[in-house]
Amino acid sequence: MRESLRHLKLYLLSGVSYVIPFVACGGILIATAIALAPMKVGTGPDFTNAPFLKLLMDIGTAAFSLVVPVLAGYIAFGMVDRPGLVPGFVGGFVASALGAGFLGGIVAGLLAGWSVMLVKKIPIPRVLRPILPILIIPVLSSLAVGSVLYFLLGNPIKELMTYLAQSLRTLGSGNQVLLGILLGAMIAFDMGGPVNKTAFFFGVAMIREGNPTVMGACAAAICIPPLGLGLATLLAPKHWSDRERESGLAALAMGVIGITEGAIPFAAADPFRVIPTIMGGGALGAAIAMLGHVGDHAPHGGLVVIPVVDHLLWYLVAIAAGTLSVALTINLLTHRRKSAPQAETV
Amino acid sequence: MKILAITACPTGIAHTYMAAENLERMGKKLGHDIKVETQGAMGIENELTEKDIAGADILIIASEVSVQGRERFQSISKVLEVPVQLAIKNPAEVFNRLPH
Repeated sequence: MRESLRHLKLYLLSGVSYVIPFVACGGILIATAIALAPMKVGTGPDFTNAPFLKLLMDIGTAAFSLVVPVLAGYIAFGMVDRPGLVPGFVGGFVASALGAGFLGGIVAGLLAGWSVMLVKKIPIPRVLRPILPILIIPVLSSLAVGSVLYFLLGNPIKELMTYLAQSLRTLGSGNQVLLGILLGAMIAFDMGGPVNKTAFFFGVAMIREGNPTVMGACAAAICIPPLGLGLATLLAPKHWSDRERESGLAALAMGVIGITEGAIPFAAADPFRVIPTIMGGGALGAAIAMLGHVGDHAPHGGLVVIPVVDHLLWYLVAIAAGTLSVALTINLLTHRRKSAPQAETV
Repeated sequence: MKILAITACPTGIAHTYMAAENLERMGKKLGHDIKVETQGAMGIENELTEKDIAGADILIIASEVSVQGRERFQSISKVLEVPVQLAIKNPAEVFNRLPH
């Protein structure tokens, strides 16, 4: 059971890793087009006199429309290698057409992988072996995945997605703060590990579903741990060793470009102080971002995404508050730690 | 020993390379001949060649995603799979777990 759960995670992450750049391409182009286009009251951006922006919009939309098929295709690829690509892409396309979104894509990808495993088990005479990968597997497995989605799972998943998007949009501010705290703490907890990625991918998926505020909260939390710890080494240089101050500078740079991993050297050396501190800072920043309706259209965090952030001022406030809270807390906590043994280094 | 390793993570921009660096450093420190292939967002880098594989004793896979080109390593009987996190946080432990 544990083993199969581990495999499931491996498959999903394999698919997601191919999808992230597609979301980046689509999210950034669409956000740029909308941000620069003249607004028409009531109908949103007006592209009639802006052919170039219209082009950006169309190309970005093309990238977005590939997200679900690519997700499904590469989940299946992660499961069964090349034979998974066809049923995965086809199934993902069907899921997309049915409006089943990224959840549909995940289901389509898993179905595709399993159906290839099943088709491979059909006993086939040796003379027909060569046509297995080019005819039999693609046709049968795609047929299987497509049928299951059309007749069985597609519509329920679509309902679920609509419900999810609807509830996110109508969250009261109390619940928004709760969601922000949860996301922020998750992002900071393992600094790029599985828990962080779960929150991050939820944000990425929501960009594609037209709700960039989840990613906005994540984006703020992503950069707070390294920025806060880096700032701490600047504020109280005497508390920290030469090596830690060096890590601090690196962490600041990584925070700016949105790489939470910059905090790892600190967390590895002193996990029981550092991890709760950065979880608190991440939660604070994400909650503020949620309250300020910060949206982020790129699947990434930190200061580099500023051009595609909605409600920029709140974004900066959220990051500043989280960063300061981390820096001050950790300096307070490590005050008496100066003689503590250094962590083993490589 | 001649050790090969592959590192990979979902985003493929940070963990993959941090793990590779740590494994390489720790491997050299312990006196092994080690080569690490990274499978990140830029695709496969520092690719393990047929020649590398022919002389290798052990393959370490530190990954959170399915590794590409697994079939290349059928000739290597000893394979150690660990989470990519372990290679970053405690590379010494990865080498402790190597089968003898």
